Amino acid sequence: MRIALDHVFDRIGRRAEGADALIRSESQLTLRFETGRLKESALRQETGLNLRLVTGGRVGFAGTTDLSGIRALDDVVARALASASEGEACALAWPAATRRDPVRTFDDTVAGLDVATLAALGRRMVDQLARDGWQVSASVDRYVEETTFANTAGQIFAYRSTAVAVSADVTRVKGDDVLMAYDDVTAMTVPAGVELDAAVARIVTRMKRGERVVEPPEGKLPVLFTPSGSECLFLPLRQALSGKTVLQGISPLGDKVGEPAFDATLDLVDDPLHPGRTASRPADDEGVPSRRLPLIEQGVVRRFIYDLETAARAGTASTGHGRRGTFGKPVIAFSNLALRLGDADEAALLGAVGQGLVVEDLIGVGQGNVISGAFSHPVALAYRVDGGEITGRVKDAAVAGNAFELLKRIRMVGREGKWIGGSRLVPPIVLDAVSVARR
Amino acid sequence: MLPSDLRDRLAEALKGSRADYAEVRVEHTRSTRVAFRGARLEGAGESVDGGGCVRVLSRGHGWGVASFTALDGIPAMLAAAEEMSRAIHLERPVRLAEMPRREDVSVPAVDGDPREVPLGEKRRLLEHLNGLMLAVSPKIADTGASYFDNWTEWAFANSEGSWLYEVRPEIGLSAQATARDGDTIERSLESLGLRHGWRSVQDREGMFRAAAERALALLAAPTVEGGTLPVVLDPRLAGVFVHEAFGHLSEADFVYENPEARAMMTLGRRFGSELVNIGDDGSAAGLRGTLPYDDEGTPTQRTPLVDHGVLVGRLHSRETAAAMGEAPTGNARAIDFRHPPIVRMTNTYIEGGSGTLDDLVRDIPLGVYAVDAVGGQTYLENFSFTAAHGYMIRGGKLAELVKDVTLAGNLFQSLAAIDALAGDFQWNQMGGGCGKGGQFPLPVTEGAPHVRFRELLVGGEVAA
Repeated sequence: MRIALDHVFDRIGRRAEGADALIRSESQLTLRFETGRLKESALRQETGLNLRLVTGGRVGFAGTTDLSGIRALDDVVARALASASEGEACALAWPAATRRDPVRTFDDTVAGLDVATLAALGRRMVDQLARDGWQVSASVDRYVEETTFANTAGQIFAYRSTAVAVSADVTRVKGDDVLMAYDDVTAMTVPAGVELDAAVARIVTRMKRGERVVEPPEGKLPVLFTPSGSECLFLPLRQALSGKTVLQGISPLGDKVGEPAFDATLDLVDDPLHPGRTASRPADDEGVPSRRLPLIEQGVVRRFIYDLETAARAGTASTGHGRRGTFGKPVIAFSNLALRLGDADEAALLGAVGQGLVVEDLIGVGQGNVISGAFSHPVALAYRVDGGEITGRVKDAAVAGNAFELLKRIRMVGREGKWIGGSRLVPPIVLDAVSVARR
Repeated sequence: MLPSDLRDRLAEALKGSRADYAEVRVEHTRSTRVAFRGARLEGAGESVDGGGCVRVLSRGHGWGVASFTALDGIPAMLAAAEEMSRAIHLERPVRLAEMPRREDVSVPAVDGDPREVPLGEKRRLLEHLNGLMLAVSPKIADTGASYFDNWTEWAFANSEGSWLYEVRPEIGLSAQATARDGDTIERSLESLGLRHGWRSVQDREGMFRAAAERALALLAAPTVEGGTLPVVLDPRLAGVFVHEAFGHLSEADFVYENPEARAMMTLGRRFGSELVNIGDDGSAAGLRGTLPYDDEGTPTQRTPLVDHGVLVGRLHSRETAAAMGEAPTGNARAIDFRHPPIVRMTNTYIEGGSGTLDDLVRDIPLGVYAVDAVGGQTYLENFSFTAAHGYMIRGGKLAELVKDVTLAGNLFQSLAAIDALAGDFQWNQMGGGCGKGGQFPLPVTEGAPHVRFRELLVGGEVAA
């Protein structure tokens, strides 16, 4: 891949004041189990080049999956120059050659996994979930990636990364009632048997708790959001911490740096150097070396995340959060994002709820006016809590509130966190006075 | 451009396959994207995306699939897919419904080839449209405007001797306006997606002004009164409803291996009132979900799904059709060469009735008129969708503008709760697309008239 990059930089020559380029080769092997049996095995191999350059002070970019020869590479350079001729001016601060902290992103065992070994991981989940009337699906994904980066300021590096994701879901249809539960394990290495068994146990617990359907409660109630049910709270938070949102003047946190905007138990850290996680990397896709970055400390907003372009426009430095795909220009993205875990176990959390609701999953998160923090979603899977104990599953109920307001009063934080998608650590959390409606 | 000798190369590669069934899809897409954010250009540029997908099946074994960006490796990818297929052993073999061998070439006429329009002209068009949003009010704090065109060459060959070549053009615009007043932030969206050319995106000023004006109006709008209320959906939201609430359950891959789901979706079951007629039509002229063939090479068609409230059909791939003893419907689709085809909708519709919006609202003392969709999701028999905005209905008339209108319900109850359809059916030519199985956004279209429900759950804050 270095040869392709060298050709691209040679071809640009003096026609640009600066440039950077990234080539990513991905190999993904997916095994899909449908209704308990291995049904499909799919391999995806993809290589893409993303190029950006500055000429006459203006930024242009181009991408391609065609790396078949010199003509294709020359075409990318020509398209990037054409894009720059229509582009916006921006003084990008290309990172120079700098030391990068070592971080483990690659596991030889994962890279060498064959179909049979991967199938055994999925079958372990499927077999343990086999019950009368349960439709079990599962999938196993193995990713191997190689990233090569270079810029005209002398920053050049390459690294390999791996990830394995094993997931399963159970669907039980009874008459017109459908009960569904899902869980997954995602990490840089092959999951241990105990981790898979724990995911199975979580699914079984959900199915059991969902067995009995009860009337939903109603009113402003304490609600326990489990890690899988709390996206309605943390999606607006992530959007509001993006330097892009701040620059556009629409972040509700834009003017709150240094202020206690949330409950003092809320700590949020972005950490690309966290070992074993799927978003770990030595530098971001614009060559900025990785570092651990506290974003919220004891409820106080500390900083926002930036890529090169947004930083230049905001008059600040990149925090190392540029992420590139093959097409378009880099965008701001978090790496491994961790909320601080609490120390409460599940019994304590349910006790803190008293009379209320547990939300495991909501329908339609991400629709609507996310950045405002306001949400209103029907429950996909939720349980009623009476006297600190789960008494059954509720259907036909919706929860609503404003994430920024609700996170000002956190009643309790649990210790059983989950890495969502392998790169976001979220604890269970009990919030006060969440609006619960029924029909 | 796809190589001129592609047909021969694919035929050669397929001849070398030992699998019982093998197919190759190859695509090459040249795209333009222009985007503005606020007063600033985000970027303007062209990209090239291309590759292929092979899929093979051996008797007694499962599917082996391989997708790739390097076109010189097709025989190697076929071999890899065969090996993966043979690693899977199935007691009940996968069968494919019979499909006659086909040869066809289809290049649609477009009103102005976007590849011949200079990048600068595309930028100027969007700069003008984005400027219209910014000019509406100083309270328009942020905008997002985008233009795209795709020119996709698509080729398909299989071991049964079929060869298909299509050009699949796409073009579109989107407008997003964010209005801010102190801590109140409101957003409004409009989008357009067409399988057409450059002239079809001209004279679209109204769509951009409407987005900005609505975001501004929503700043002062109260949150909708939540509760279980009579609800009228406008044609755009009604289209999303029929897609989300019903369409996904009619995809046969949901039911074909699940006895309980199969029982729930038994043909002949009553689903809604006599008034309800629903279908899917991949062959309808000029729509975004329209294509001559699906990604398995099956011709698209009009498929009735609900006839006067009774379930009469479902959407199939060759595999699900064979498994259920029904006929393929041309609904096996993939968003691009990275993915194998799965059962998807094309252009999904609920037929119109008679009368107007006024007629539907007239006898509602208290209710909600929900307009336009910003999103929708199904969770099996439960669905949720979010309206862009709405109006309270009071005393049989549209009253104040309201925001945060989220609707939720159960498919069976809500289809049965439809008690009136207006005579104003329209196809909604929106951008975006449908997501399923990690494949997003798939171009689809929805069509509907104004639709009235006796009651639906309207989300909103409730009193303490």
